[in-house]
Amino acid sequence: MKALSERFSGWTYALFTLTLAAILLLCVCTGSVSIPLADTLTAIWNTIWGFDIPANISRNIILNVRLPRVLNVALVGAALSLCGAAMQGLLRNPLADGSTLGVSSGASLGAVIALAFDIPLPGSPYGGTMLMAMTFAFLSLLLILSLAYVLDRSLSTNSIILIGVIFSMFASSVISLIISFSNDHVRSIAFWTMGSLSGTNYRHARILALALLVCGGILLRYARELNAFAIGEDNARHIGVNVKRVKLVILITVSVLIGVCVSISGTIGFVGLVMPHMARMATGPNHKRLLPASMFSGAIFLLLADLAARTLLSPIELSIGVVTSLVGAAAFVIIFYRTRKAR
Amino acid sequence: MSKKLAALFLAVLMAFSMTSAFAENASVTVTDMYGREITLSEPATRIVALTPSDCEILCALGCEDALVGRGKYCDYPASIQELPVVQSGAETNIEEILALNPQVVLMSDMSQTEEQANMLEENGVKVVISDANDIAGVYTAIRMIGTLMGKDAEAETLIADMQATFDEIAAKSEKSGKTVYFEVSPLQWGLWTAGSNTFMDELAALCGASNAFSDIEGWQAISEEQVIDRNPDYIVSIAGMGDTGVEEILSREGWSDVTAVKNGDVYSADSNAISRPGPRLKDAAIELYNFLNGVDAAEAPAA
Repeated sequence: MKALSERFSGWTYALFTLTLAAILLLCVCTGSVSIPLADTLTAIWNTIWGFDIPANISRNIILNVRLPRVLNVALVGAALSLCGAAMQGLLRNPLADGSTLGVSSGASLGAVIALAFDIPLPGSPYGGTMLMAMTFAFLSLLLILSLAYVLDRSLSTNSIILIGVIFSMFASSVISLIISFSNDHVRSIAFWTMGSLSGTNYRHARILALALLVCGGILLRYARELNAFAIGEDNARHIGVNVKRVKLVILITVSVLIGVCVSISGTIGFVGLVMPHMARMATGPNHKRLLPASMFSGAIFLLLADLAARTLLSPIELSIGVVTSLVGAAAFVIIFYRTRKAR
Repeated sequence: MSKKLAALFLAVLMAFSMTSAFAENASVTVTDMYGREITLSEPATRIVALTPSDCEILCALGCEDALVGRGKYCDYPASIQELPVVQSGAETNIEEILALNPQVVLMSDMSQTEEQANMLEENGVKVVISDANDIAGVYTAIRMIGTLMGKDAEAETLIADMQATFDEIAAKSEKSGKTVYFEVSPLQWGLWTAGSNTFMDELAALCGASNAFSDIEGWQAISEEQVIDRNPDYIVSIAGMGDTGVEEILSREGWSDVTAVKNGDVYSADSNAISRPGPRLKDAAIELYNFLNGVDAAEAPAA
């Protein structure tokens, strides 16, 4: 058998990109309002080349509602899945993802506080929620890491996971506490925590793309170190990895990315947990292949989940979290049994 | 066996109430909206109301003095804010209610459970259940609470007053064929609207307009593109965001061609008045009528 090269070849990337582009197109062309395929393509084609769009085409739905939403969904899916893959490698724990670290519950807590106490941002009535979610994501990471550091100076993975899980529980009980005291805002908090990508626009997509570019770039550069971590921390130390520094950089990068995602989409479960496992089945454990594969598969998975959420019960829209958890849980069980049997 | 006994007991009570009706007219028998019969030896004087709408009806009937406790969402009229608050819904705390020593607890079918009702009754507190899903249901609830408090005449006056307003609005409104989209939750948290079988739907019809989402039932999450495609003539937000909420709707990307946005016909309504099955539905109807007919020209901010 020919030995697999460490990285994907250009052809593999081209294949990934083509598949993603095809799914993106499918998601832009399909929705709860049916618009002829030709109209959609004309609208997009004319916008790209700066031509005028014929007046009879539902320009607004295609260009201002569907396209930005689909872009945001793809970016959030890629980001969450990438974070999951990096965390699973770093912490050598198959159950790790953004929520294990406690960052996503921290971000939710920030958003709920903003909702309950009406913290606005001048100029945009809902900007406060986003700002608070990002701030709290970062603050919770600081808190978790300092607690872990006090517990043991080497920042061992077990203490990080333990403190992360405990912090998640703490954050969710504080959320419940806030809900029981804020009679006026129960409804808005309930709607927010369900998680939704509806109403996301190009501005959100730009923020997400920038975050993914920077944070994703950093994580991909650490693929070699993640490979070393996956074998064991001692191994990583022996081959010359600065364990503590690398760990800190990866954790901070992941938490920034998760904070941005949660502030835009709310908490969406299962993508970060399941997609890296599925990608690993196809690519093997090498992070140089696993990280990019996770990004592509995460984007594709969330796009399809969102498509189902938008169209299955039209005009009613399902919560995207419901779809990802239903499909994700079933997929996870199947993968788990298959890999166990194969051993 | 115990059922038979209870039936016998009830029959005796009823007989007693009939005879006493001839004598002093002291005892009252109420059939609540769950079909249960509740008899009191005299109109209630100590009441805990768990549901905001029941609370509002009680106060509208002039029985505020009889209220000894309120559920945590009961916030109208402002004068009841001084009263002790008890938990309601899933967190209902029976001990807390019993400590207030009420004769009657008013609760709604929607947010309370049968177990909670049973537990209160076992402790000697009468439970009266309301369950109003349309304006006719609100009238039934008002009559029920009126009887319970010995205020039948006041109840009829209140109903006649509400009905007069609704009749007046219906008479003044022509069927315009225009559509209203009610926004319960803003875009940021995922759009929710009120479909058929809601007070909003009923009030829109009263004002001669129709609900843009009358094809769905109750409160539901809906797709943004559906709203744009249905192109409503008016948008009424009950998300409680006031003027900033209106501005946010007017500035939404992709909504610029929606008739309501183009004409600036976007309004933020009092969400409690329009969603609670109580006397303030009258105010909500007037508010909606004024908006749909441009009576109050002060709003409509510059887009």
